[in-house]
Amino acid sequence: MNDEAKIGVFVCHCGHNIAGVVDVPEVVKHAGEQAHVTVAKDYIYMCSEKGRSLIREDIKKLGVNRVVVAACSPRLHEETFRGALRESGLNPHLLQIANIREQCAWLHEKGPMATEKANRLVTGAIKRVTYHTPAEEKSVPIFPATLVIGGGVAGIQAALEIASSKHVVYLVEKGPSIGGHMAQFDKTFPTLDCSACILTPKASEVANSPFIRLLTYSEVVDVSGFIGSFTVKVKRKARYVDEGKCIGCGVCQEKCPWTAPSEFDAGIGLRKAIYTPFPQAIPNVPVINRENCVYFLRGKCRACERLCEPKAINFDQQDLYIDLQVGAIILATGYDVFDPTPISQYGYGQLPNVFTGLEFERLCSPSGPTSGKLKLADGREPQSLAIIHCVGSRDHNYHEYCSRLCCMAGLKYAHLFREKTGGDVYQMYIDMRCFGKAYEEFYERVQGEGVKFIKGKVAKISGNGASPEDKDKLAITCEDTLLGEMVHIPVDMVILLTALEPGHDSDEIRKLLRLGRSRDGFFLERHPKLDPVATMSEGIFIAGCCQGPKDIPDTVTQASAAAARVLAVIARGSVETGAVTASIDENRCSGCKVCNALCPYGAISFDESAKASQVNQLLCKGCNVCAAACPSGAISTQDFTAKQVMAEIEGVLA
Amino acid sequence: MQVTTPSKEAIDVIKEAGGEKLDLCYQCGLCTGSCPWNLVRSFLVRRIMHQAQLGVIDFATEDIWLCTTCRTCVSRCPRGVEIIDVMRAMRRVIAEMGVAKVPQALRVATASIATLRNPYGEPAERRAAWSEKLGIQAYNNGIGLLYFSCCVPAYDTKVTKVAKATANVLKRSGASFGILGSKEGCCGESVRKAGSESLFQSLAQSNIQAFAEAGVKQVVVSSPHCYHSFKNEYPSLGADFSVMHITQYLAKLVSDGGLKFSKEVNKKVAFHDPCYLGRHNGIYDEPREVLKSIPGLELIEMPDTRENALCCGGGGGRIWMETKKNERFSDLRIQQALDVGADVLAVSCPYCMLNFEDTLLTNNKEDAIQIKDVVELVQEAL
Amino acid sequence: MSFEPKIVAFLCNWCSYAGADLAGTSRMKCAPNVVGIRLMCSGGLEPAYVLKAFKEGADGVLVCGCNLGDCHYTDGNYKTLRRMSLLRKYLDQMGIEEPRARLQWVCASCADDFTEAVDKMTSELRELGPSKIKV
Repeated sequence: MNDEAKIGVFVCHCGHNIAGVVDVPEVVKHAGEQAHVTVAKDYIYMCSEKGRSLIREDIKKLGVNRVVVAACSPRLHEETFRGALRESGLNPHLLQIANIREQCAWLHEKGPMATEKANRLVTGAIKRVTYHTPAEEKSVPIFPATLVIGGGVAGIQAALEIASSKHVVYLVEKGPSIGGHMAQFDKTFPTLDCSACILTPKASEVANSPFIRLLTYSEVVDVSGFIGSFTVKVKRKARYVDEGKCIGCGVCQEKCPWTAPSEFDAGIGLRKAIYTPFPQAIPNVPVINRENCVYFLRGKCRACERLCEPKAINFDQQDLYIDLQVGAIILATGYDVFDPTPISQYGYGQLPNVFTGLEFERLCSPSGPTSGKLKLADGREPQSLAIIHCVGSRDHNYHEYCSRLCCMAGLKYAHLFREKTGGDVYQMYIDMRCFGKAYEEFYERVQGEGVKFIKGKVAKISGNGASPEDKDKLAITCEDTLLGEMVHIPVDMVILLTALEPGHDSDEIRKLLRLGRSRDGFFLERHPKLDPVATMSEGIFIAGCCQGPKDIPDTVTQASAAAARVLAVIARGSVETGAVTASIDENRCSGCKVCNALCPYGAISFDESAKASQVNQLLCKGCNVCAAACPSGAISTQDFTAKQVMAEIEGVLA
Repeated sequence: MQVTTPSKEAIDVIKEAGGEKLDLCYQCGLCTGSCPWNLVRSFLVRRIMHQAQLGVIDFATEDIWLCTTCRTCVSRCPRGVEIIDVMRAMRRVIAEMGVAKVPQALRVATASIATLRNPYGEPAERRAAWSEKLGIQAYNNGIGLLYFSCCVPAYDTKVTKVAKATANVLKRSGASFGILGSKEGCCGESVRKAGSESLFQSLAQSNIQAFAEAGVKQVVVSSPHCYHSFKNEYPSLGADFSVMHITQYLAKLVSDGGLKFSKEVNKKVAFHDPCYLGRHNGIYDEPREVLKSIPGLELIEMPDTRENALCCGGGGGRIWMETKKNERFSDLRIQQALDVGADVLAVSCPYCMLNFEDTLLTNNKEDAIQIKDVVELVQEAL
Repeated sequence: MSFEPKIVAFLCNWCSYAGADLAGTSRMKCAPNVVGIRLMCSGGLEPAYVLKAFKEGADGVLVCGCNLGDCHYTDGNYKTLRRMSLLRKYLDQMGIEEPRARLQWVCASCADDFTEAVDKMTSELRELGPSKIKV
């Protein structure tokens, strides 16, 4: 024990909460009898101003230099009582709380055993606190640039918010252009704005902002460092087109003789081997896809090179790796669409005219493969449509969660179809989820447009119509649960409202950034209600659908929130990191390096010159896993040293 | 005016009898849409689930006895509701608590099983009669396999050929096997699905004991229903033997090269996936591998195969019950087989065989197509 | 008075300590034989702590952590799992019976898992009797 310790023990009644079960005077008496306890007293509400002043007084007058407060859970008031110590000039870490409320008085019946347990908890705290040492909270400067990963509407919004504060943002997008899924949509619910029209101004702002460094056709391949000082390695994939020389005339893609399925058109349209994904692409610089380009495959062609006036085509371009220094990272990598092929009863990929929502968006879009005309596989205009909800969502066989926006998308498609063809629309739903602003009103509007709603999950889509006259049609089979009857509905076209899934590369991204994932596979936020844009890694924030399915208003809101968090960090100029960190005694370290691999944050590295491992104080989160493994006992964590815990064990069993 | 009040007692009783996951149903109706009954009549599975949720089930309704336990609904239910267990729980309430009458035909069958350990009313001693003159040894300790034929091939003259073909093929493959005859009895799988839980328990215990006494370690079966019960239900009752369906056994022989074919079977054959091999136990490939290995045989697929296979109508105890002429799934399945031009509809379940033969008979289509067990086709080619 | 076992519980700050707090907040009742010691992570539990507890007279030790996959520090509880399995072998050699040292995952909202684990261990150890290695 530390012979210079002078412990003050303060036992709280918490009204009747503690005092009604535990014999508080007995606890005070018992505490007073322990070694090194200078004073032991009780008060009705220790967390009150008066309670805390008792602590401050005894520190001043009696020279108390270690404090034990026996009260409620440290998860509630540890900071409160630390404040009292700070105010008295005592280091706030010279405090130990004994939880005699939540884990004693509230958990047990009144009686001698409850009091005995309280005594044990207090004795444990007394013995422990003599080994507490002062701790310094560290401050680290913030590098004022930010990395935003993902160029969809979330990434765009976040980048713009930060750029408006005149700080540099690197916006990295893996595709050839920013815009994400929102650029693929035709119209947006409930306003029926043209999606590209409302997105393009923001995307142009990104292109024109002097503070945003736009890195398209690029991927983040390594992230190291910590909040305030991340080092990010970005791979700029070779476009084979010189961005500086290209004037965006479009001749190369017009003349290119080779086609491939267009990713932007969700695979139902074609693009060229040299292409920009859509007319309003930003930057308006094409890329050559090596897997489709005949020059790369067989050494022939090079038509684009011949025809390019500014001589911007460069087949010798290489992938380029660059390093960026940033202070914070916002992850906005969006979502991928569920592939309904495994649901064989729906015939996707087998039957003609069965589309996913995204494919239908491209059919409706004026820039799509049919210039916005709805056409069946045989070229006719469809006269009837069925829209099927919850394909892959709310389903234990695929994704348990609800994808949140499909009901609204379904209403939108119903409206668009009626507008374009005047045909019949049947919408098969389990529930109608129209939760947002003007969403319910949109539902009413679409009902008013004559769309028929059937409450039942579709069991089958077949290729034969319900009757011989309808043999060219698809037939929907389901139970209309409100009628309590089976219905068979012949239609020309079917839209499957497919689930939103976590991005297919989210596992790689998660490992890069050391992020967790929730049960549904989307990235894990720090707290779903109170902290939905932060992650467990300080300095890394998430926004948009990569955190969970959401509509455009919520995406934009979340992106702004993430940007605000980053700007708060930049405005502070520096950030305090936790004092509960591990450190290694060089003299004891045997150099076995067992700890290096164990650290979940990669905070431990081996110093060759010192021949000992060392802990990066800014990366360490204080979990103590390394210390628990160290065969030499060379590592200890502030406030959780072996000596302290062993003393606590002795105390609770005394 | 009809007003319905939920009944807590009924809910508890159903849950205790095995329908715990009922609460999760969110009434989407996919079960109704998927159920083969709705191809021939109205059967609102979803509504029954909701009635059970509220405890307002009409125990006297015949609907409770319709379910063939084919598992199409369960395999697709987005909430993972064990609909078959709920049906079974309701049947158990009726059979064991007497709140309504068990259908007559079912009572006759279960009474026969209870006393004679087979549904045919035939003497237990005649269980091995099919094997007379085939020289099959009685199973005893040390022999590799027990062949468990199922009551249907053992007693039903229309299906005995399957047991004989199986024994023949086993012999020709050089396997060491035996049968237990009257020492064994009905496996009880369909009895349990029909709600007679205590009868099932006693049937299982008798078989487990008989197998243990004879030192049985490996069993090969003809019926997917026996397979299902032995594999999934018997172990928790103390059973300690492994089970293979004959098609799994044959598939292994095919891949090991243990089957030597000398003749061709030049037929177009469509394979019908039995519910209890396919959806209940995930076995789809082995029967097809066996058929493809037979020289000259052309394997074709009907619509609604594998996970989407159309039930023949025999499970859940319905094999013993009367199904109205225009409500038989087997009629639809035969038509599908004819539509793809099959010469033979290959089955691997005695119930399927009975139902399909019945369809041919009642529709005068005996010459249109043949029904053969996979093992019979193998025998033809040996 | 009949034998009342003394049990030490090691609770991780983010899940099991919070779960235990929740049991109190919900006024659930359980046996008072278990005293909780807070650690930041169950993965930070040094095996020596368990041995120290027995040395100091504990009749039982309950180690609690987050459910696998939910660890606040990503995978600390996997290390706990490994360490406890290895420690079990050592405890066997020392004659400390299996019911005396248990691992129980308790999530932050699983107050009942905590109280059940406490009551279960308490009643088991009442039957088993005092630890035989008290110094």
